Amino acid sequence: MFPALEKYRQAFLVGLQSNLVYRWNFAIRGFFSLFHLAVVFILWGAAFEGAGNIGGFDLRQTLTYFITILALQFLVSAFNEDYQISEEIRNGLINQFLLKPINYFAYRFSIFVAARLVSGSLILIPLLVALPVIGEYLTFPLEPWRLAVGLPAVLLSALIQFCIAYCFGMLTFWFLEIQGFVILSLAIEAVLGGQIFPLDLMSPDVFAASMLLPYPYQMYFPAAIFTGRFGFEESLWCLGIQACWVGILLTVGHGLWLRGLRRHTAVGG
Amino acid sequence: MLYYLRIWLASARYSVTRTLMFRGDFIVWSLVELFWMTVNLLLVSVIYRHTDSIAGWNQYEMMLLVGTSMLIQRFLMGFFWSSIFEMGRNVRTGNFDFFLAQPGNVMFMATTRKLDPDGLVNAVIAVGVIVYAAGKLNLQPGVSDILLYAAMVGCGLVIHYSVLVISISLVFWLTSAQGVEGTYFTLTEFSRLPREAFKGVVSQMLFVWLLPVVVVSNAPARVLIGRFGEDWHWVAGPFLFAALWFALAVFVFHRGLRRYSSASS
Repeated sequence: MFPALEKYRQAFLVGLQSNLVYRWNFAIRGFFSLFHLAVVFILWGAAFEGAGNIGGFDLRQTLTYFITILALQFLVSAFNEDYQISEEIRNGLINQFLLKPINYFAYRFSIFVAARLVSGSLILIPLLVALPVIGEYLTFPLEPWRLAVGLPAVLLSALIQFCIAYCFGMLTFWFLEIQGFVILSLAIEAVLGGQIFPLDLMSPDVFAASMLLPYPYQMYFPAAIFTGRFGFEESLWCLGIQACWVGILLTVGHGLWLRGLRRHTAVGG
Repeated sequence: MLYYLRIWLASARYSVTRTLMFRGDFIVWSLVELFWMTVNLLLVSVIYRHTDSIAGWNQYEMMLLVGTSMLIQRFLMGFFWSSIFEMGRNVRTGNFDFFLAQPGNVMFMATTRKLDPDGLVNAVIAVGVIVYAAGKLNLQPGVSDILLYAAMVGCGLVIHYSVLVISISLVFWLTSAQGVEGTYFTLTEFSRLPREAFKGVVSQMLFVWLLPVVVVSNAPARVLIGRFGEDWHWVAGPFLFAALWFALAVFVFHRGLRRYSSASS
């Protein structure tokens, strides 16, 4: 139907195979993330002993938020795509893409989707194992609109995650080593992405300002929709901001690719 | 012993020289570590915006606990992290052969080769957090308290080192340890929690005693805060755990080493 997309389907299939090779690696990470969940349960459980509700939410709602964030991490997060892109640029492996009718962004994104499909499926195993323990804490609001708005938000989150990783990878055209930038960004993403605490627990001014940045749309926003931290109108408004950020990041990524290629020197055959 | 000290000093000298060559890199990494430390303190301050106590610990007691945990982790990052992290990659690529050919204990050679001054620089910031929190709590520890605190931080470092070596040694069995090193960071998250937050026998057995990451930071923090009371097992615990975990790390590493067959995939 779309012959031009066939090559990306093949890239997706190769990505699927290569990620399945590391299935045990993902599975172990998934099981160890249950330890992170244990930390969250213990810390917030102790915090809620001193306060009936925190930020207008009870313990179950707060824990549901963190469980959702954990699932989203495996479903939409860019794990090491920035490093992979960086390696391909540094080692000259991108030369092959310059000579073929293939879009590098689309190629990398196909592999990213395959990787997240594998890791997203594998996180279900530890979550199912832990279900007897965490099940009693799960409390999701049941309004249908949350699914209708939340699912597009998850897809856009994945795009934002990938675009940020792609942009960092592109920095290799200018810098020899990008690891420092990536980990610095990871710290910012961890806080403003809502992985450390729900962003709405910050002071209202700081929260409002943070929602103008791309980071909350990486994970906090879809998690907030699914767990009842956002209302309908607020969600639609933020979905618009999220779409804008996707557009901006796609443009920046493409711009970096074009500018970077001007600096790139392909050596050898 | 003196032989290994000389080797370590030579490696440290090389690492410092290398750091001075890449000063920009040093600044970026120092900022990275500083930022992650700030993230932990931010979490404490956000929670205490909504509550006065976490498991009976007030904000500055929590800050002292988190500061102690950060101090131990900075030492680990400074002295061992780069070497152990690279070990995972080296085993996968076959570059680990380099360490087998060196005239010394393989585990020592592989885990102490690189020193990261940026981690050590941020240890000063962690000490600053501890001193600030102690000042807010009006604590006036004696010399013996400070010495005991330092000894327990040393034990904590040995325990963290051992847990990290065990985590990375999984690479001998798995094709790749990529991401597995993150399991260490997950475990160290427990060290920022007060012991009293662990309710129930299973939770206490698993996280306080079986994986002594809670003892690692709680024991030294308790020395300064004066929360020991008559619980002298809190003093003996860190020393005992340090010995046991180090022995386990040596065992796992050498069992894994038997499986090493140079470059794999």
